[in-house]
Amino acid sequence: MTPLAHYLILSGILFSIGLAGVLIRKNIIVVFMCLEMMLSAANISLVAFSRAQGTEGVPVYDPQVLSLFIVAIAAAEVAIGLALIVAMFRARKSVESTAITTLKD
Amino acid sequence: MISATYTWAQFIPEFTLVGLATLILMADCFLPKLPKSFYALFGAAGAVAAAFFMNGEAELSQFRMLAVIATALTILLAYDYRKITCEAVSGTDSEEGSSELYALPLIACAGICALTQAKDIIMLFVSLEVVTLSSYVLAGYFRRNQGSIEAGVKYLILGAMSTGLLVFGAAWYYGMTGTFLLDAAVVYHVFFAADPAMSVGFMLAMALLLAGAFFKTGTAPMHIWIPDVYQGAPTPVSAFLAVASKTAGFAVLCMLLAPFADMQLVPMLQCLVILTAITLLIGNLGAIGQTNAKRLLGYSSIAQAGFIMVFLINGTGAEAQAQVASYLTAYLLATMAAFYAIAMVRTQRGSEEISAFRALGKTNPVIAFLITVAFASLAGVPLTYGFIVKFDSFCALVNAYALEDMSCWFTTLLIIMIIGAAAGFYYYFKVIREMYWEKPQAEDKPLCIPMVTAGVMTACVILLIALGTWPLLTGNL
Repeated sequence: MTPLAHYLILSGILFSIGLAGVLIRKNIIVVFMCLEMMLSAANISLVAFSRAQGTEGVPVYDPQVLSLFIVAIAAAEVAIGLALIVAMFRARKSVESTAITTLKD
Repeated sequence: MISATYTWAQFIPEFTLVGLATLILMADCFLPKLPKSFYALFGAAGAVAAAFFMNGEAELSQFRMLAVIATALTILLAYDYRKITCEAVSGTDSEEGSSELYALPLIACAGICALTQAKDIIMLFVSLEVVTLSSYVLAGYFRRNQGSIEAGVKYLILGAMSTGLLVFGAAWYYGMTGTFLLDAAVVYHVFFAADPAMSVGFMLAMALLLAGAFFKTGTAPMHIWIPDVYQGAPTPVSAFLAVASKTAGFAVLCMLLAPFADMQLVPMLQCLVILTAITLLIGNLGAIGQTNAKRLLGYSSIAQAGFIMVFLINGTGAEAQAQVASYLTAYLLATMAAFYAIAMVRTQRGSEEISAFRALGKTNPVIAFLITVAFASLAGVPLTYGFIVKFDSFCALVNAYALEDMSCWFTTLLIIMIIGAAAGFYYYFKVIREMYWEKPQAEDKPLCIPMVTAGVMTACVILLIALGTWPLLTGNL
């Protein structure tokens, strides 16, 4: 059986890639994909912990319930996010974050 | 295990609010002839009605009440703002597609109410996301307006990032404690565990969870979105984010910190002191140069969050929660009055700049007085409630000195608080100065005051003055 640490390292790497992408990338669609990756990383950790806390091969289901909620909320977020990005594309003819310049000090 | 923690009956206000929102959305589809402004009055009345179903047993019931009042006031503000909404949504003066602006705050409010009753992180996360997702839509609601779209996209990206941090924190919280319950015994057990790796993992979890809460409260370093989103979003939405969403954030913060009430962990206090100091500096110094009234209130909201954080440095038990709630009450009354004023000036003078308030003292002396009291309360002028709560905030820091090995940290924070409060007098009084010192220009006609705005602003100001003078009269400050 794969040890817990391997899953956590995988999830940590995914989370870091996601966070770095959000901070570095300019294309808002790519940024949005990175955000979804952060949520997926959390899901992997949750399911791994759910197995690790279980006894005799039966996992604890609490974290898996949370990961289902995360999937549902991520889907809602995508629906809203893509709608906003489409509206932004109509207004600016661009989805680069460098095009967002109306509001600033 | 978790299902035993909650009962159906305690969620009646939430069901009422969601039911109302559904009713409004359905009526919007099937009764197209009904004027949309009717939904606003219906929604606001319903939100107030939902407050009557609340029992005061929950620990954070004051926060719940604040959220409901803020929602009702937001919807009423949206009602007075409907002329601008119609132009921005449909491009004409038809009311088509403006009813969601009245329904979505109700759904967000249901999220905040559920949040205040959460005992575990799953409930906390899901209800917080209900608030956040509705807020994304609201912030970008004026889809023909560049500023609103931009505010929506910025809020979405930064908000989703904070969600990511929060859930990753939740996963680690579970991994280290083996439960999602927020409980002092659980926290104590992990923090002083034999295995040091456990407490390191737990600190990672707490840091990520707190980062998620800081996003909502507007504490540094998660404050970046606030000025931009407040400026760009429709004015009723800015008011909602400023008051209701911040209330939600502080409810989460109180909940996350409550298990640590009896521990006095010095490293955690040090982190909180540093973040509070940065928040106060950014909020107060950033506000000084602002010319846009909504952006000014954005920085003001960061600054006020700093003053509220001080209560949580002093302690995180029930007493601190009550103090946070009373500060939020003062903030709600003054900020709502200010946003009503901004909306009124925007509707009639077409601008949200501070300069649009010019000479209101000559053209509309009564409304100018109401605006003066609201901004004076935000600044903390004596005889307003804003003074009492800001005084409490300073007292809380002085009480915190009981913890001796941090007195140097607290002194630094005290100096920064004094600088912040002094700067506050400058930038809030810019609006007051504009109303009384500037000469009216030829095209400035007296504003005609809408009924709802007049009523709400008068009520807020009377409460601010009454709550501000009562403790002085009775002598128990």
